[in-house]
Amino acid sequence: MTTESLMAKPGTKGRIAKSVLAGIGAFVVVGVYALVSSLGLGLWTSLGPGPGLFPFAMGALLVAMSVLWLLQELRRPSETPGGADLGLVIAVVVSLAVLAAVLDLIGFQLGMFLFLMFHLKVRGHRGWPSSLIIALAGSVGAFYAFNYGLNVTLPAAGIPFLNSIGL
Amino acid sequence: MDTLNELIGGFAAALTWQNLIFAFLGCLLGTIIGVLPGIGPVAGVALLIPLTMNLDATGAIIMLCAIFYGTAYGGTITSVLLNTPGEAASAITTIDGYAMTKIGKAGAALTIAAVGSFVGGTIATLGLVAAAKPLGELGLLVGPPEFFALMVVGISLLVALAGKSMVKALISGALGLLISMVGIDPVAGAPRFTFGSDNLLDGVSFVAVIVGVFGLSEILSYRKDTSASAVHAPGLRSLLPTGTEWRRSAPSMARGTGIGFGLGLIPGMTGSVSSLLAYGAEKKFSKHRNQLGKGAVEGVAGPETANNAHANAALIPLFTLGIPASPTIAVLMGAFLQQGLTPGPTLFTEHSEIAWAIIASLFIGNLLLLLLNVPLVGLWTSILRVPAPILTALILLFMVIGAYTINFNVFDVFVMIGFGLLGLALRHLDIPLAPMVLTLVLGPLMERSLRESLEISQGDFGIFLNRPISMVLIAIGVLIILSPLLKLRKPQALNEDPET
Repeated sequence: MTTESLMAKPGTKGRIAKSVLAGIGAFVVVGVYALVSSLGLGLWTSLGPGPGLFPFAMGALLVAMSVLWLLQELRRPSETPGGADLGLVIAVVVSLAVLAAVLDLIGFQLGMFLFLMFHLKVRGHRGWPSSLIIALAGSVGAFYAFNYGLNVTLPAAGIPFLNSIGL
Repeated sequence: MDTLNELIGGFAAALTWQNLIFAFLGCLLGTIIGVLPGIGPVAGVALLIPLTMNLDATGAIIMLCAIFYGTAYGGTITSVLLNTPGEAASAITTIDGYAMTKIGKAGAALTIAAVGSFVGGTIATLGLVAAAKPLGELGLLVGPPEFFALMVVGISLLVALAGKSMVKALISGALGLLISMVGIDPVAGAPRFTFGSDNLLDGVSFVAVIVGVFGLSEILSYRKDTSASAVHAPGLRSLLPTGTEWRRSAPSMARGTGIGFGLGLIPGMTGSVSSLLAYGAEKKFSKHRNQLGKGAVEGVAGPETANNAHANAALIPLFTLGIPASPTIAVLMGAFLQQGLTPGPTLFTEHSEIAWAIIASLFIGNLLLLLLNVPLVGLWTSILRVPAPILTALILLFMVIGAYTINFNVFDVFVMIGFGLLGLALRHLDIPLAPMVLTLVLGPLMERSLRESLEISQGDFGIFLNRPISMVLIAIGVLIILSPLLKLRKPQALNEDPET
């Protein structure tokens, strides 16, 4: 135990983590936005409660609780858990976003095949045969199972050439 | 007699081959979700809603209910064989379940758990049959002010019991309510929080939000890809417990049923509290309590029975009052609403055949789980041997399909990604996710009953205090929210429960 930790008053040692401050700030911004937008929507009409009444109450609650949380943090900063694996977060989020962006263009079968190959072969370091089999089953197999088995339509390619070859 | 006739009619509808297949598939998928690490029952049920989109309402809800209680049993398998609970409610089973595996009694532990789950689930469903009519009729007497007050109590309980901080739980609840208000206002027809996007005029897809917040954020928060190794399924011969084990389990199952049933009725209480208290009851009342922790069958029978009794009893407030008692039930309620069914007292007047068919299917589903899960234990353990990168890739595949097929629009996949990141941030900030799910589903109903109440009273908020039922309910809600000031303590298990 260091001298500093012995000297510090209980509940006042340490600083508020930046991520906690950012979180509180974000909630205040969302709450204030809800409050301002609700006023524009109208809290009360001639028929009774307006469309802004309930969001106004929720915006006020969000701001009030965020301020209360800040006060709690100032009194006793909470311990922040370790962060997530940033590489994993980026890989998953970016690959999903790219898939969503091109899904209507290149179709479910090709898009999902490339997505699965990325996660199995590039990220997961699986062998070629197992990666190819799983990626084909998850893309072409799932497309036919959903479209014809469950009658749930997954998107075909918007590019005429790809569409013409059945993708 | 009326109830019995309606239940018989329900069995006739539930026993059609299509509905039996839906119940079977639901049990199968639910068990897989329960077995798989990293995908809990909330995201699991939400993820599979699109599979039921093209089914008729009865078949769809039968399948989703079977998925829901299938997850409760699936979590047990990994607890017993691997010392790793597949879901929070089975955590306590690891103590004696895994100890039984180490002394070569894994098969007996799994069979006792399956039979206990069947007993607890079936008795709780009988409770639902008994309560359906009287509570449903009582529910019909409530008007918009009472309905609003009832939802305030439900949300207050969940907020008070979720996570470690009520302030954070209230933030989560307020966020859920705000998200639920995105789209066209149902009364005035004004667009709210749509940022000019046509995609948001119908609101945010709750399936995309739930899959993002509970499922994707779970994957994003993985620290390291891990997979199970050296899992050995017990042989079929070793599955039968001895006569002594059956005799020792019976009182534990009775205690577990009572505890799980009672706590399942209370919104905010999760299955893990029931199983923990059932284990505590065994420690206190079992004749062999000195063997607990060393592979005592009572340590498996009590908690596992309580866990399933809880899961089935939690359906009672949903069916009779329209109040979801847990996040998973809230997702189930969302599925009801998507099928055009409003859970609550009117369910038994407007869709009586569907309601009783679903209740009858709960009995059938519990029996199917018993018949399926024990002999197929080898299949469940083989799923655990699938390497983590393959499991992750397949879960992401189903998330994309689940989010996309709700509206057949890639916009919902982006919504899922956005809410996955929000879920990751909320986990990092230690903000409970359960209040958000509950308010997301209840938000529109709550707002409608508030506005209808104020229209009745011509803007006088006193309407909530002038009517005795709503006054009592509002007072209970306020007391619950003020419970931290009154220094009322809640079960420690709820602080650690990932479902909250």
